[in-house]
Amino acid sequence: MHVILDALAMIGLSYVMGFLFYGFYRQFSARVQRRWGPSIWQNFFDNMKFLLKSETLSHGPMFFFGPMIIAAGAITTVLFVPFLKDSDWLQGFSHSGNLILIVYLLVVGPLGNALAVGSSGNPFGVMGVTRGLTRLMGLEVPFFLGLALVMLQHETTSVHAIMAAQDGIAQWNLFTNPIAFMVILLPFIASQNASPFDVVGAPVEVYAGPRVEFGGRLLGVLMTQNMMMTIAKLVLVVDLFMGGATNIFILIAKAFSLFLLTAAISLAFPRLKTEQTVDFFWKVPLGLGVLGVVATVWFPWGA
Amino acid sequence: MSLIVKMLFLAVSLSPALTLLVWGDAVAWPLLGGIELTFDLNPVSGFFMLLLALGAPLVALPMLRGAHEGPAYGLYALLLLGMQLLLLAGDFIGFFVGWEIMTWSSYLLLLRSERSDLEGAQSYILFNLASAFLLLAGILGFYSLTGDFRIEALASAGPAEQLILAALFGGAFLIKVGTLPLHIWVPRAYDQAPDTFSAFLSALMSKMGIYGLVLLPTLFPQGLAGLLGSLLNGPAAGYILAWIGVITSIIATFKAISQEDMKRLLAYSSIAQVGYITTAIGVGSSLALGGALFQALVHTLVKLLLFITFAGIILQTGQRRFNDLGHLIDRMPIAFFAVLIGIIGLAGMPPLPGFAAKYLIFVALIDARWLLLLAAMLLSSTAAFIYCYKLIYAPFLGHANSPEAKAATEAPWPYLVPQVMLMGLLVLLGIFPGLAIELVIDPVLIGLGMAALGAPSPGELATAYGGYDGVVLMSVFGSAFMIVTGLFFLLRGRMRRAGSAYDLSFAGEVPTAETPLHYGAGMGRELRRIPLVDWILSRTTTRFQAGLTRQSLAASGLLGGLYRRDPQTWILLAVLLFAVALTLMLLAGGL
Repeated sequence: MHVILDALAMIGLSYVMGFLFYGFYRQFSARVQRRWGPSIWQNFFDNMKFLLKSETLSHGPMFFFGPMIIAAGAITTVLFVPFLKDSDWLQGFSHSGNLILIVYLLVVGPLGNALAVGSSGNPFGVMGVTRGLTRLMGLEVPFFLGLALVMLQHETTSVHAIMAAQDGIAQWNLFTNPIAFMVILLPFIASQNASPFDVVGAPVEVYAGPRVEFGGRLLGVLMTQNMMMTIAKLVLVVDLFMGGATNIFILIAKAFSLFLLTAAISLAFPRLKTEQTVDFFWKVPLGLGVLGVVATVWFPWGA
Repeated sequence: MSLIVKMLFLAVSLSPALTLLVWGDAVAWPLLGGIELTFDLNPVSGFFMLLLALGAPLVALPMLRGAHEGPAYGLYALLLLGMQLLLLAGDFIGFFVGWEIMTWSSYLLLLRSERSDLEGAQSYILFNLASAFLLLAGILGFYSLTGDFRIEALASAGPAEQLILAALFGGAFLIKVGTLPLHIWVPRAYDQAPDTFSAFLSALMSKMGIYGLVLLPTLFPQGLAGLLGSLLNGPAAGYILAWIGVITSIIATFKAISQEDMKRLLAYSSIAQVGYITTAIGVGSSLALGGALFQALVHTLVKLLLFITFAGIILQTGQRRFNDLGHLIDRMPIAFFAVLIGIIGLAGMPPLPGFAAKYLIFVALIDARWLLLLAAMLLSSTAAFIYCYKLIYAPFLGHANSPEAKAATEAPWPYLVPQVMLMGLLVLLGIFPGLAIELVIDPVLIGLGMAALGAPSPGELATAYGGYDGVVLMSVFGSAFMIVTGLFFLLRGRMRRAGSAYDLSFAGEVPTAETPLHYGAGMGRELRRIPLVDWILSRTTTRFQAGLTRQSLAASGLLGGLYRRDPQTWILLAVLLFAVALTLMLLAGGL
């Protein structure tokens, strides 16, 4: 019973946080661009509108099951990330998982998406998927290297143990291992599909992208999982670098400050081409990561 | 008559399983000069025998289909015999004999394919002979140091001698697993071999090289660490081996992405996956070897599954290029699921066992403090997603691109039975990684004198760095999937199937049957815009190979220059020299 309630609470919290954060982002970007922007609830309204559409076009069974796989992947990811530390609540199944598993679960979504898009038979959609997978190849290397620095620092892959090791603000990995944070920050933005590393999603200037064929309720499911996934990733970074949180309010505050940082970076830079993104990740964050490895692992004064 | 032969053949293909089950005590067979051949099944060879026992009948089943092919059955039986001999051998003589039987019988099997050309066949036999000669040189070197052919640790040997032995044996086994730049025979052979036999080559024969690499550290008193000392938290000699493995897998992965032929893609992917195993063996810790063995097990199952499935597709359509297929999902649903399971395993995604293997290897690299290797390995393993996607998109999704693809039907049952069995095995291993550790991996680690990994429960994979529970993972994912799908149908509204395959959002146009809509072989072409990938893909090892050829020609020219045209003079000289030497020795009071 506790497990079911806990799981429902995690899913609900990540959904609510998801649409509020995205609503805020739309307001924030509008104000930066001197527009009024939509209300903070707009993402919720949009999502409900999609989910309640009366008609949905499908291109075959795999086209339908793809979004289901993505949503199941997102829920699984949320349930394997511990939201709070030193608490019985909002833990999900995180004790049966670890950091490397979570990093791989983050990828289930893109792959399920890839299957559905391929099944739609739209070559522009497949092009978008290939771009997404290419970007994944670029971002994953520095992202994982940064996380590996943290795993090495604490000699564990357990998110719980890493959280527990950061007692006070001075022990936050953000301060004890700043190189790792700098290494993962930009790939983290890319993994959120945020500017400047985004892949063109739906009808924009080029009528192409992974979402091009989806509409109605299927698009609603995709939007829901996207918002939940964003929160899962934010909470993961809060757990790993900002000491986790002991209650929901601290969690929201920490996740929000991190979101504000990434949103500010996103708004300041225009979109890069996919291959530029990959090249950038393999030069700057990965180069920094290599320096980090040399400084902390190879030399005796490090860990 | 032919039915009896076929049944007999199937029975022969079960012989590795029989050996595994009923093998009793060691068998010794005295050879001349006090040397005896010993055959025994130890845990290490037992593991590879298990792979053979699993794979041999599954490959034999589709081979049985169609016309009766006596010679092929005979050669396959001989091949199985050679591999069992190799695995059971307790000394290098039996090992070498088994190795040679394996090489020659597989070569003759390869020649039976109508697709094999002179170049492919020659490169297969030349590289494998080079491997065998390196092995022979290593064995003779080993004998000169110990005076014994038994496979066990060297008692006394200087560091230089150990290094030379490691290089000779390592070279032999690395050629067999297709390490760059000595890989050139692999894509050719896997491509040209009879379609079902490619499964055997990739899944099982490449594992014999891995068997050798696993045995290699046991030849030295302190394993790999005794060779060049240690680096960070692992052996320095292993660091070199690990980089060889990782660079192999990165380059092979990008090569795989750029292939336009299904079997060639699988061949390059095989090189890349075996590269991970090489890396893990280089790390050498018990975690890493556990990962290497797990990866070997998963790779065997996945490659059997994929090669047999694609053999079925080639059988039904006659097409082997990504461009010429498409939209087989409706016509070959079992094959679709087989490839889906296969690529999830290949990509190392949870919840299938590929993830457990990757997890062990990653943790082992962190434990060894070899983070740069970890980053490099991650590059290859995420780039693998792209070719995995190509493997499922181009044949099964998108639009059918040839008349054969539009009319294809599911492959006959001898192809489907192995597919279904392998899918089941992969899913089971994914749910119960701990079971695999307890039953299959730990005995080998104990046999090698290392710490067992252990598993608290069948579903759990546990390491000192933390672990995960496959049962929980699979049930969470499964119930989430069912709940989401259920809720979706509870929502108001209805689903409508698109009117035709051309009912697409196509930039405001209406595509027709003439519009090129299939993205098959083009996928991944745009990767060349990334400077590093372009750099890798624009280089080939042909110049290295040509240089090798030039050097060996020059060397043989040098040797040939010693001989004059008139051999009589040389023989006379040799006889005279012999006589003088005898006389001298007699005078010195010897003999």
